[in-house]
Amino acid sequence: MNKYEAVIILNPNLSTKVGDFLKDFDKLLKDNSFSIVKTEDIGRRQLAYSINNHNKGHYIIFNLEGDPSKLLEIETKIKYNESIIRHLFLVVKEHSSEDSSLFTESKNKKPESINEDVKVESKEIKADESAKTKGEV
Amino acid sequence: MSKYDLPKNFDYKNTDALRPFITETGKIIPARVTGVSASNQRKVTKSIKIARFLALLPYTDMHQ
Repeated sequence: MNKYEAVIILNPNLSTKVGDFLKDFDKLLKDNSFSIVKTEDIGRRQLAYSINNHNKGHYIIFNLEGDPSKLLEIETKIKYNESIIRHLFLVVKEHSSEDSSLFTESKNKKPESINEDVKVESKEIKADESAKTKGEV
Repeated sequence: MSKYDLPKNFDYKNTDALRPFITETGKIIPARVTGVSASNQRKVTKSIKIARFLALLPYTDMHQ
């Protein structure tokens, strides 16, 4: 038994069908006697560089436990799954109990987006004011 | 306080903590500049390389 951390980047066009993917993936893992300890659905995120002409990706992080010999079978399945644009399995000594920084970031983003708009507006107002003061001088 | 503060635990997911260790062009800054110990520099480097593979950090600024 090894402990794994898996990161999977899905095709962003299939973002709405993540539920289906999670079910399929869960089944695939169970068939290979893997168990999911934790799932973090991070959501769509800007990629640092384009992969297969995709500029965004749907990130999902899994904490897994399973047999190393079965991992190869899972990886070959993933290889021929076209909805996955990139994947990585890492062996870890211990699963971290805390949420990953990516997950907390994605959680915080939604309420912040409103604030960002407000900030932009206030900046524009300030710019207008500075322009006015310059004009007066 | 140094510009190159070490993250508490080295994690490829914590890109904000790794960003000080790469240049604007995406290169990893050498240990002789960062002043980080050799073993810590290896951990930072490894995390950066994983983050690059997962498109969390860029390899270069020339990506199209």
